[in-house]
Amino acid sequence: MKLIDRYVNEVGKRLLVFQGREDIEKELRSTLEDMLEERAQKTSKPADEAMEIELLKEYGSPEQVAMTYNPHPYLIGPRIFPLFLVIMRIVLLSTTLGMSIVMVIQLITQSPLMGSEFTEILGNGLGNIFSTLISAAGYVVLAFAIIERTVPDLGISKEDFNEKWDPASLAKEPSPDSVKRGELITEIVFTFIGLAIINEIFYFPIFSDEFRKFVPWINVIFVTEILLDIYLLRKAVWDTATRLVKIVMEVGMIAIAFIMLKTPNLLIFTADTFKHIPENSSLGAEGFMAIANLSISIALIVVIIVSAVDLGKAVIGLWRSNRKS
Amino acid sequence: MTNTESLENVVLELRRGVIVLAALSQLSTEQYGYSLLKQLADQGLEVDQGTLYPLLRRLETQGLLESVWKLEEARPRRYYIISAEGKKILPKLKKEWADIVSVMKKMLA
Repeated sequence: MKLIDRYVNEVGKRLLVFQGREDIEKELRSTLEDMLEERAQKTSKPADEAMEIELLKEYGSPEQVAMTYNPHPYLIGPRIFPLFLVIMRIVLLSTTLGMSIVMVIQLITQSPLMGSEFTEILGNGLGNIFSTLISAAGYVVLAFAIIERTVPDLGISKEDFNEKWDPASLAKEPSPDSVKRGELITEIVFTFIGLAIINEIFYFPIFSDEFRKFVPWINVIFVTEILLDIYLLRKAVWDTATRLVKIVMEVGMIAIAFIMLKTPNLLIFTADTFKHIPENSSLGAEGFMAIANLSISIALIVVIIVSAVDLGKAVIGLWRSNRKS
Repeated sequence: MTNTESLENVVLELRRGVIVLAALSQLSTEQYGYSLLKQLADQGLEVDQGTLYPLLRRLETQGLLESVWKLEEARPRRYYIISAEGKKILPKLKKEWADIVSVMKKMLA
């Protein structure tokens, strides 16, 4: 095989285009042969391997040549890069927060808060957080690299993030309909953590069957919440439909939290629950049970208050926007 | 980055901007890539082959050029020629170029 053919093959291997690869190779070979022939004529010598080597050196390495033809010289292009950054932040933040909370709960419930067991759980927890973050980041990059190459139009452009911004808005009061991205991202993160906890992705030996009866209902609300928040991140403003969804969701959450508050025995305590409490601890089994039951009541009351505030905001927003129109 | 490198980069950017117009203007008669490269060089516009060939493919994808393979002296060659769409936009590009030259002449005088 001639040196030029081998060179063209090497360029071909590095081409990232799916269509027209053979065309590019054929055209490159033809050009190189033209150039070689011209050099031979100029020097009045037949073309030889030394001449080919000199020509190919000047033409550039196969990597360089292939790069000039590649339409995507980047893994994730400018078209979807802003969305990639938003999703990456959400994923990394929610993973770190979720796993940190789980680690703290494990430290409290499964270790005497000192000694080798404590250090082991802490070390394993930090190690898990680090490796999970790397995996999560890898999956996000992989997903976006695939989207970059397979989805021609996401309906999102760079302009959605930058150029549609109106400088005139700086002079105005912020619109009551505009969403607060920070709040939405925080809400997504905490809802993910909530989902992980109530679905017992991490083992908690205290949830009773009474508690588990509520889980499917809470899941529906939490998943709706996440989907609504992602939609709002994209849309950037509240409208009647999104406010109605929010109102239905918050009413549902308040109702569930209220019923749960009235339901006895949401938590169950076994000998297994208390095995990590040191024998000489001033907090005995009864004390631990009382604190746990009080904590879940407080958590449910907080949920009712937060949901009521969000419900109030949605109702007032809906009323205001309808009055304007 | 040294001053020479900066200058080279700026010059490269300037030239890159005019290659589309130069190529379209020379392809009223069909030519293969290497002959176009030489023709441009003969007229004083040295273009790197790594720039010209991908550019020709892109202009064809955009519908401004058409191409056909021909066998010459036992060697297949891809000939490019300006398309009907290319002929439509070429006068507008020429006008744009003349305006830029006029503005820049005034600015640099």
